[in-house]
Amino acid sequence: MINERYAPIISIIEGTRTIDDVQEKLKIDRAKAIYLLHRLRKLGYIRTKYLPNKKRVYSITFLNKQKGTSYLEAFNENMPNSAFKINDKEDHFVHGNKIKAEDLLIYALKKGTVRFVISSLILFRKIKDWSYLYRLAKKEGLTRQISALYEVARLFIKKVRKMPKRFISFTTPKKDDKYLYIIKGFNSDDFKNIEKKWKVYIPLNRADLEEYKLI
Amino acid sequence: MININAQEILFNQIGRDLPKKLSAYCIGGTAMMLRGFKGETRDIDIVFDKERDRNLFIETLEKQDFKKDEKRVIETYGLKKNTPTMLRLESGDFIFDLFLNKIISSVFSDGMKNRATQTHEFGGNLIIKVADPSDILIMKSVTAREKDNEDIIEIINKTKLDWDIIIEEAKEQVRLGNEEAILGLGEKLEKLVNSKAINVPQEVSDKLWNFFTKQIQDKAKKTK
Repeated sequence: MINERYAPIISIIEGTRTIDDVQEKLKIDRAKAIYLLHRLRKLGYIRTKYLPNKKRVYSITFLNKQKGTSYLEAFNENMPNSAFKINDKEDHFVHGNKIKAEDLLIYALKKGTVRFVISSLILFRKIKDWSYLYRLAKKEGLTRQISALYEVARLFIKKVRKMPKRFISFTTPKKDDKYLYIIKGFNSDDFKNIEKKWKVYIPLNRADLEEYKLI
Repeated sequence: MININAQEILFNQIGRDLPKKLSAYCIGGTAMMLRGFKGETRDIDIVFDKERDRNLFIETLEKQDFKKDEKRVIETYGLKKNTPTMLRLESGDFIFDLFLNKIISSVFSDGMKNRATQTHEFGGNLIIKVADPSDILIMKSVTAREKDNEDIIEIINKTKLDWDIIIEEAKEQVRLGNEEAILGLGEKLEKLVNSKAINVPQEVSDKLWNFFTKQIQDKAKKTK
Protein backbone atom coordinates (compact mmCIF):
# COMPACT_ATOMS: atom_id res chain seq x y z
CA MET A 1 0.00 0.00 0.00
CA ILE A 2 1.25 3.50 -0.87
CA ASN A 3 0.61 4.64 2.67
CA GLU A 4 3.08 2.07 4.04
CA ARG A 5 5.78 3.23 1.62
CA TYR A 6 5.51 6.83 2.69
CA ALA A 7 4.72 6.30 6.39
CA PRO A 8 8.37 6.27 7.60
CA ILE A 9 9.15 9.40 5.59
CA ILE A 10 6.11 11.22 7.00
CA SER A 11 7.19 10.23 10.51
CA ILE A 12 10.56 11.90 9.94
CA ILE A 13 9.33 15.14 8.38
CA GLU A 14 6.05 15.46 10.28
CA GLY A 15 5.18 18.95 11.50
CA THR A 16 5.24 22.41 9.98
CA ARG A 17 8.14 22.55 7.51
CA THR A 18 9.65 24.63 4.77
CA ILE A 19 11.30 22.99 1.76
CA ASP A 20 14.70 23.65 3.36
CA ASP A 21 13.62 21.75 6.49
CA VAL A 22 12.57 18.76 4.38
CA GLN A 23 15.90 18.80 2.52
CA GLU A 24 17.82 18.95 5.77
CA LYS A 25 15.78 16.28 7.57
CA LEU A 26 16.00 13.76 4.74
CA LYS A 27 19.44 14.84 3.45
CA ILE A 28 18.16 15.13 -0.11
CA ASP A 29 18.56 17.77 -2.81
CA ARG A 30 15.95 20.40 -3.61
CA ALA A 31 14.54 18.67 -6.70
CA LYS A 32 13.92 15.46 -4.76
CA ALA A 33 12.34 17.38 -1.89
CA ILE A 34 9.99 19.17 -4.31
CA TYR A 35 9.00 15.85 -5.91
CA LEU A 36 8.42 14.22 -2.53
CA LEU A 37 6.23 17.08 -1.34
CA HIS A 38 4.31 16.90 -4.61
CA ARG A 39 3.66 13.15 -4.10
CA LEU A 40 2.65 13.60 -0.47
CA ARG A 41 0.30 16.42 -1.37
CA LYS A 42 -1.34 14.24 -4.02
CA LEU A 43 -1.83 11.57 -1.36
CA GLY A 44 -3.43 14.10 0.96
CA TYR A 45 -0.79 14.28 3.69
CA ILE A 46 0.18 17.91 3.10
CA ARG A 47 -1.59 21.23 3.45
CA THR A 48 0.23 24.28 2.14
CA LYS A 49 0.13 27.68 3.77
CA TYR A 50 1.82 30.91 2.76
CA LEU A 51 3.79 33.23 5.01
CA PRO A 52 3.40 37.02 4.60
CA ASN A 53 6.60 36.99 2.48
CA LYS A 54 4.88 34.45 0.18
CA LYS A 55 7.17 31.66 1.31
CA ARG A 56 5.43 28.26 1.38
CA VAL A 57 5.09 26.35 4.62
CA TYR A 58 3.91 22.75 4.58
CA SER A 59 1.84 21.18 7.31
CA ILE A 60 2.76 17.50 7.10
CA THR A 61 0.84 14.95 9.15
CA PHE A 62 -1.15 11.73 8.79
CA LEU A 63 -4.12 13.71 10.10
CA ASN A 64 -4.36 15.75 6.88
CA LYS A 65 -5.67 12.61 5.20
CA GLN A 66 -8.88 12.99 7.17
CA LYS A 67 -11.53 15.27 5.78
CA GLY A 68 -12.81 16.33 9.19
CA THR A 69 -12.53 19.93 10.28
CA SER A 70 -11.45 21.21 13.64
CA TYR A 71 -13.78 23.71 15.33
CA LEU A 72 -10.78 25.83 16.19
CA GLU A 73 -9.52 25.77 12.61
CA ALA A 74 -12.99 26.67 11.29
CA PHE A 75 -13.25 29.42 13.90
CA ASN A 76 -9.88 30.89 12.92
CA GLU A 77 -10.73 30.69 9.23
CA ASN A 78 -13.68 32.98 9.90
CA MET A 79 -11.52 35.60 11.58
CA PRO A 80 -10.61 38.70 9.55
CA ASN A 81 -6.94 38.78 10.61
CA SER A 82 -4.43 37.12 12.90
CA ALA A 83 -5.26 39.44 15.81
CA PHE A 84 -8.55 37.58 16.25
CA LYS A 85 -7.22 34.06 15.75
CA ILE A 86 -6.93 31.83 18.80
CA ASN A 87 -4.60 29.04 19.78
CA ASP A 88 -6.10 26.49 22.11
CA LYS A 89 -5.08 23.05 23.32
CA GLU A 90 -8.45 21.41 23.66
CA ASP A 91 -10.09 20.74 20.33
CA HIS A 92 -13.19 19.37 18.76
CA PHE A 93 -13.26 17.91 15.25
CA VAL A 94 -16.31 17.34 13.07
CA HIS A 95 -16.36 14.67 10.37
CA GLY A 96 -19.05 14.19 7.76
CA ASN A 97 -20.86 17.45 8.52
CA LYS A 98 -20.08 21.08 7.81
CA ILE A 99 -19.44 23.45 10.71
CA LYS A 100 -21.62 26.52 10.37
CA ALA A 101 -21.05 30.03 11.75
CA GLU A 102 -23.95 29.36 14.13
CA ASP A 103 -22.13 26.31 15.57
CA LEU A 104 -18.95 28.34 15.92
CA LEU A 105 -20.66 31.09 17.86
CA ILE A 106 -22.00 28.63 20.41
CA TYR A 107 -18.62 26.85 20.55
CA ALA A 108 -16.88 30.16 21.29
CA LEU A 109 -19.29 31.12 24.06
CA LYS A 110 -19.04 27.69 25.65
CA LYS A 111 -15.27 28.12 25.84
CA GLY A 112 -15.91 30.84 28.43
CA THR A 113 -12.83 32.96 27.84
CA VAL A 114 -12.62 36.68 27.05
CA ARG A 115 -10.47 36.03 23.96
CA PHE A 116 -13.09 33.73 22.47
CA VAL A 117 -15.94 36.14 23.28
CA ILE A 118 -14.13 39.08 21.65
CA SER A 119 -13.35 37.12 18.49
CA SER A 120 -16.80 35.56 18.31
CA LEU A 121 -18.51 38.92 17.68
CA ILE A 122 -17.36 38.93 14.05
CA LEU A 123 -19.36 35.74 13.51
CA PHE A 124 -22.60 37.73 13.72
CA ARG A 125 -21.78 38.92 10.20
CA LYS A 126 -22.08 35.34 8.99
CA ILE A 127 -25.22 34.21 10.82
CA LYS A 128 -27.84 33.25 8.25
CA ASP A 129 -29.94 30.60 9.95
CA TRP A 130 -31.29 32.35 13.05
CA SER A 131 -33.73 29.58 13.89
CA TYR A 132 -30.86 27.05 13.90
CA LEU A 133 -28.87 29.41 16.12
CA TYR A 134 -31.86 29.72 18.45
CA ARG A 135 -32.20 25.94 18.72
CA LEU A 136 -28.50 25.56 19.54
CA ALA A 137 -28.55 28.44 22.01
CA LYS A 138 -31.66 27.13 23.72
CA LYS A 139 -30.02 23.73 24.17
CA GLU A 140 -26.98 25.33 25.81
CA GLY A 141 -28.90 27.97 27.79
CA LEU A 142 -27.28 30.83 25.88
CA THR A 143 -30.23 32.57 24.21
CA ARG A 144 -30.13 35.87 26.11
CA GLN A 145 -26.35 35.94 25.99
CA ILE A 146 -26.47 35.75 22.18
CA SER A 147 -28.89 38.65 21.93
CA ALA A 148 -26.82 40.79 24.29
CA LEU A 149 -23.58 40.12 22.42
CA TYR A 150 -25.34 40.78 19.13
CA GLU A 151 -26.11 44.30 20.32
CA VAL A 152 -22.47 44.82 21.27
CA ALA A 153 -21.41 43.50 17.86
CA ARG A 154 -23.75 45.97 16.08
CA LEU A 155 -21.97 48.84 17.85
CA PHE A 156 -18.52 47.90 16.62
CA ILE A 157 -18.81 45.82 13.47
CA LYS A 158 -20.10 46.99 10.13
CA LYS A 159 -22.31 44.84 7.89
CA VAL A 160 -23.84 42.78 10.70
CA ARG A 161 -27.17 41.44 9.46
CA LYS A 162 -30.34 42.37 11.28
CA MET A 163 -31.53 39.95 13.90
CA PRO A 164 -35.08 38.71 13.17
CA LYS A 165 -37.80 40.09 15.43
CA ARG A 166 -38.79 36.54 16.34
CA PHE A 167 -35.34 35.89 17.77
CA ILE A 168 -35.51 39.12 19.78
CA SER A 169 -38.94 38.34 21.19
CA PHE A 170 -37.98 34.75 22.06
CA THR A 171 -34.88 35.88 23.93
CA THR A 172 -36.21 38.96 25.72
CA PRO A 173 -35.92 38.41 29.48
CA LYS A 174 -39.01 38.21 31.65
CA LYS A 175 -39.53 40.42 34.69
CA ASP A 176 -38.44 37.84 37.22
CA ASP A 177 -35.48 36.50 35.22
CA LYS A 178 -32.14 36.75 36.98
CA TYR A 179 -28.96 38.21 35.50
CA LEU A 180 -26.79 35.70 33.66
CA TYR A 181 -23.05 35.62 33.19
CA ILE A 182 -21.29 34.86 29.91
CA ILE A 183 -18.08 34.39 31.88
CA LYS A 184 -18.61 33.94 35.58
CA GLY A 185 -17.57 36.98 37.61
CA PHE A 186 -17.00 39.26 34.60
CA ASN A 187 -19.19 42.28 33.88
CA SER A 188 -18.86 45.49 31.91
CA ASP A 189 -18.29 49.12 32.84
CA ASP A 190 -19.22 50.34 29.37
CA PHE A 191 -22.26 48.35 28.28
CA LYS A 192 -24.54 48.81 31.28
CA ASN A 193 -27.60 49.54 29.10
CA ILE A 194 -27.22 46.33 27.15
CA GLU A 195 -26.62 44.40 30.35
CA LYS A 196 -29.82 45.87 31.82
CA LYS A 197 -31.88 45.26 28.70
CA TRP A 198 -30.97 41.57 28.36
CA LYS A 199 -30.17 40.87 32.02
CA VAL A 200 -26.82 39.50 30.96
CA TYR A 201 -23.40 40.57 32.23
CA ILE A 202 -21.15 41.42 29.29
CA PRO A 203 -17.54 40.37 29.96
CA LEU A 204 -16.16 43.15 27.73
CA ASN A 205 -15.37 46.85 27.78
CA ARG A 206 -14.94 49.23 24.85
CA ALA A 207 -11.15 48.96 25.09
CA ASP A 208 -11.36 45.19 24.47
CA LEU A 209 -12.94 45.83 21.09
CA GLU A 210 -10.38 48.33 19.74
CA GLU A 211 -9.19 45.78 17.15
CA TYR A 212 -12.58 45.94 15.43
CA LYS A 213 -11.94 49.56 14.47
CA LEU A 214 -9.14 48.37 12.18
CA ILE A 215 -11.24 46.03 10.05
CA MET B 1 -5.19 -2.84 8.65
CA ILE B 2 -7.35 0.26 8.37
CA ASN B 3 -5.91 3.64 7.51
CA ILE B 4 -7.05 7.00 8.84
CA ASN B 5 -9.05 7.83 5.75
CA ALA B 6 -10.97 4.53 5.70
CA GLN B 7 -11.52 4.78 9.44
CA GLU B 8 -13.05 8.24 9.02
CA ILE B 9 -15.45 6.96 6.34
CA LEU B 10 -16.41 3.99 8.54
CA PHE B 11 -16.96 6.13 11.65
CA ASN B 12 -19.04 8.62 9.65
CA GLN B 13 -21.23 5.77 8.48
CA ILE B 14 -21.62 4.48 12.03
CA GLY B 15 -22.38 8.03 13.25
CA ARG B 16 -25.11 8.37 10.64
CA ASP B 17 -26.61 4.97 11.46
CA LEU B 18 -26.67 5.40 15.24
CA PRO B 19 -30.20 6.26 16.39
CA LYS B 20 -28.96 8.72 19.03
CA LYS B 21 -25.83 10.56 20.14
CA LEU B 22 -23.32 8.23 21.74
CA SER B 23 -20.04 9.09 23.39
CA ALA B 24 -17.02 6.79 23.85
CA TYR B 25 -13.25 6.92 24.28
CA CYS B 26 -10.68 5.58 21.88
CA ILE B 27 -7.38 4.14 23.01
CA GLY B 28 -4.53 2.21 21.37
CA GLY B 29 -3.98 2.40 17.61
CA THR B 30 -7.08 4.44 16.86
CA ALA B 31 -6.10 7.05 19.44
CA MET B 32 -2.59 7.12 17.98
CA MET B 33 -3.99 7.64 14.49
CA LEU B 34 -6.29 10.44 15.60
CA ARG B 35 -3.35 12.09 17.32
CA GLY B 36 -1.22 11.80 14.19
CA PHE B 37 1.31 9.26 15.52
CA LYS B 38 0.65 6.66 12.86
CA GLY B 39 -1.15 6.12 9.61
CA GLU B 40 -2.93 2.80 10.12
CA THR B 41 -3.95 0.25 12.73
CA ARG B 42 -5.23 -3.31 12.99
CA ASP B 43 -7.40 -2.82 16.10
CA ILE B 44 -10.01 -0.14 16.62
CA ASP B 45 -10.06 -0.01 20.43
CA ILE B 46 -13.03 1.79 21.95
CA VAL B 47 -13.95 2.11 25.63
CA PHE B 48 -17.55 2.70 26.68
CA ASP B 49 -18.89 4.09 29.95
CA LYS B 50 -22.23 2.37 29.78
CA GLU B 51 -23.24 -1.13 28.79
CA ARG B 52 -26.27 0.16 26.86
CA ASP B 53 -24.05 2.44 24.74
CA ARG B 54 -21.80 -0.48 23.88
CA ASN B 55 -24.82 -2.60 22.97
CA LEU B 56 -26.18 0.14 20.75
CA PHE B 57 -22.81 0.45 19.03
CA ILE B 58 -22.69 -3.33 18.51
CA GLU B 59 -26.21 -3.34 17.04
CA THR B 60 -25.18 -0.58 14.62
CA LEU B 61 -22.06 -2.50 13.58
CA GLU B 62 -24.06 -5.68 13.09
CA LYS B 63 -26.38 -3.81 10.72
CA GLN B 64 -23.26 -3.06 8.67
CA ASP B 65 -22.43 -6.79 8.44
CA PHE B 66 -19.87 -6.86 11.24
CA LYS B 67 -19.95 -10.17 13.13
CA LYS B 68 -18.90 -10.97 16.68
CA ASP B 69 -15.65 -12.96 16.80
CA GLU B 70 -15.65 -14.79 20.14
CA LYS B 71 -12.95 -17.22 19.05
CA ARG B 72 -10.57 -14.33 18.50
CA VAL B 73 -11.25 -13.02 22.04
CA ILE B 74 -10.04 -16.31 23.51
CA GLU B 75 -7.10 -16.52 21.09
CA THR B 76 -5.98 -13.00 21.97
CA TYR B 77 -6.77 -12.71 25.65
CA GLY B 78 -7.16 -16.31 26.87
CA LEU B 79 -9.13 -16.48 30.10
CA LYS B 80 -8.31 -12.96 31.26
CA LYS B 81 -11.01 -10.77 32.78
CA ASN B 82 -12.50 -7.62 31.21
CA THR B 83 -12.03 -8.80 27.66
CA PRO B 84 -13.59 -6.76 24.86
CA THR B 85 -16.41 -7.69 22.54
CA MET B 86 -14.70 -8.14 19.18
CA LEU B 87 -16.39 -7.57 15.87
CA ARG B 88 -15.07 -7.85 12.34
CA LEU B 89 -16.15 -7.93 8.74
CA GLU B 90 -15.65 -11.28 7.05
CA SER B 91 -13.53 -9.60 4.38
CA GLY B 92 -11.83 -7.06 6.65
CA ASP B 93 -8.35 -7.24 8.09
CA PHE B 94 -9.09 -4.98 11.05
CA ILE B 95 -11.16 -5.61 14.15
CA PHE B 96 -13.23 -3.62 16.64
CA ASP B 97 -12.28 -4.21 20.30
CA LEU B 98 -15.13 -2.79 22.38
CA PHE B 99 -14.31 -2.47 26.09
CA LEU B 100 -16.50 -1.49 29.00
CA ASN B 101 -14.56 0.79 31.40
CA LYS B 102 -11.85 -1.81 32.03
CA ILE B 103 -9.22 -2.79 29.50
CA ILE B 104 -8.01 -6.23 30.63
CA SER B 105 -5.90 -5.25 33.66
CA SER B 106 -6.10 -1.46 33.20
CA VAL B 107 -8.98 0.73 34.27
CA PHE B 108 -10.05 3.69 32.18
CA SER B 109 -9.99 6.00 35.20
CA ASP B 110 -11.73 9.34 35.75
CA GLY B 111 -8.37 11.07 35.31
CA MET B 112 -7.95 9.42 31.92
CA LYS B 113 -11.45 10.52 30.93
CA ASN B 114 -10.74 14.11 31.96
CA ARG B 115 -7.49 14.17 30.03
CA ALA B 116 -9.21 12.98 26.83
CA THR B 117 -9.88 16.53 25.68
CA GLN B 118 -9.59 15.98 21.93
CA THR B 119 -13.07 15.17 20.62
CA HIS B 120 -14.14 13.92 17.20
CA GLU B 121 -17.76 14.04 16.08
CA PHE B 122 -18.50 11.54 13.29
CA GLY B 123 -21.64 11.63 11.18
CA GLY B 124 -23.51 13.67 13.77
CA ASN B 125 -24.12 10.99 16.40
CA LEU B 126 -20.80 9.32 17.18
CA ILE B 127 -18.62 11.28 19.60
CA ILE B 128 -15.16 9.82 20.08
CA LYS B 129 -12.86 11.26 22.73
CA VAL B 130 -9.19 10.50 22.21
CA ALA B 131 -7.09 9.24 25.11
CA ASP B 132 -4.15 11.43 26.12
CA PRO B 133 -0.71 10.20 24.92
CA SER B 134 0.41 9.64 28.53
CA ASP B 135 -2.56 7.34 29.11
CA ILE B 136 -2.01 5.46 25.85
CA LEU B 137 1.55 4.89 27.07
CA ILE B 138 0.42 3.55 30.46
CA MET B 139 -2.03 1.12 28.86
CA LYS B 140 0.55 -0.05 26.35
CA SER B 141 3.15 -0.60 29.06
CA VAL B 142 1.27 -3.52 30.63
CA THR B 143 1.01 -5.59 27.46
CA ALA B 144 3.56 -8.07 26.15
CA ARG B 145 3.20 -7.28 22.43
CA GLU B 146 6.30 -6.15 20.55
CA LYS B 147 4.34 -3.67 18.43
CA ASP B 148 3.25 -1.86 21.58
CA ASN B 149 6.91 -1.16 22.31
CA GLU B 150 7.20 0.55 18.92
CA ASP B 151 4.15 2.64 19.78
CA ILE B 152 5.64 3.62 23.15
CA ILE B 153 8.86 4.71 21.42
CA GLU B 154 6.81 6.76 18.95
CA ILE B 155 4.83 8.45 21.73
CA ILE B 156 7.86 9.27 23.88
CA ASN B 157 9.93 10.55 20.97
CA LYS B 158 7.17 12.66 19.45
CA THR B 159 5.41 14.18 22.44
CA LYS B 160 6.40 16.35 25.34
CA LEU B 161 5.06 14.12 28.09
CA ASP B 162 4.28 15.23 31.60
CA TRP B 163 5.96 12.45 33.58
CA ASP B 164 4.24 13.50 36.81
CA ILE B 165 0.86 12.71 35.21
CA ILE B 166 2.15 9.31 34.11
CA ILE B 167 3.52 8.45 37.55
CA GLU B 168 0.35 9.63 39.30
CA GLU B 169 -1.85 7.66 36.90
CA ALA B 170 0.25 4.53 37.40
CA LYS B 171 -0.31 4.92 41.16
CA GLU B 172 -4.03 5.45 40.54
CA GLN B 173 -4.12 2.26 38.45
CA VAL B 174 -2.61 0.32 41.35
CA ARG B 175 -5.20 1.85 43.69
CA LEU B 176 -7.93 0.74 41.28
CA GLY B 177 -6.66 -2.83 41.33
CA ASN B 178 -4.17 -2.98 38.45
CA GLU B 179 -1.26 -4.17 40.56
CA GLU B 180 1.13 -4.49 37.62
CA ALA B 181 0.81 -0.85 36.53
CA ILE B 182 3.90 0.58 38.23
CA LEU B 183 6.05 -2.51 37.73
CA GLY B 184 4.98 -2.88 34.10
CA LEU B 185 5.67 0.74 33.31
CA GLY B 186 9.02 0.82 35.11
CA GLU B 187 10.15 -2.43 33.53
CA LYS B 188 9.12 -1.45 30.00
CA LEU B 189 10.70 1.99 30.18
CA GLU B 190 13.94 0.55 31.54
CA LYS B 191 14.05 -2.01 28.74
CA LEU B 192 13.55 0.64 26.07
CA VAL B 193 16.05 3.02 27.68
CA ASN B 194 18.62 0.20 27.78
CA SER B 195 18.07 -0.50 24.10
CA LYS B 196 18.68 3.25 23.53
CA ALA B 197 15.30 3.65 21.81
CA ILE B 198 14.10 6.35 24.23
CA ASN B 199 15.32 8.74 26.88
CA VAL B 200 13.54 8.87 30.20
CA PRO B 201 14.72 11.14 33.03
CA GLN B 202 16.51 9.11 35.71
CA GLU B 203 14.34 10.81 38.31
CA VAL B 204 11.25 9.19 36.72
CA SER B 205 12.71 5.69 36.86
CA ASP B 206 13.81 6.23 40.47
CA LYS B 207 10.35 7.42 41.47
CA LEU B 208 8.70 4.41 39.80
CA TRP B 209 10.99 1.93 41.57
CA ASN B 210 10.45 3.69 44.90
CA PHE B 211 6.70 3.46 44.48
CA PHE B 212 7.00 -0.18 43.47
CA THR B 213 9.05 -0.96 46.59
CA LYS B 214 6.45 0.81 48.71
CA GLN B 215 3.68 -1.13 46.98
CA ILE B 216 5.37 -4.44 47.86
CA GLN B 217 5.92 -3.36 51.46
CA ASP B 218 2.28 -2.29 51.81
CA LYS B 219 1.12 -5.58 50.39
CA ALA B 220 3.38 -7.53 52.73
CA LYS B 221 1.94 -5.61 55.70
CA LYS B 222 -1.59 -6.40 54.58
CA THR B 223 -0.90 -10.13 54.23
CA LYS B 224 0.60 -10.25 57.76
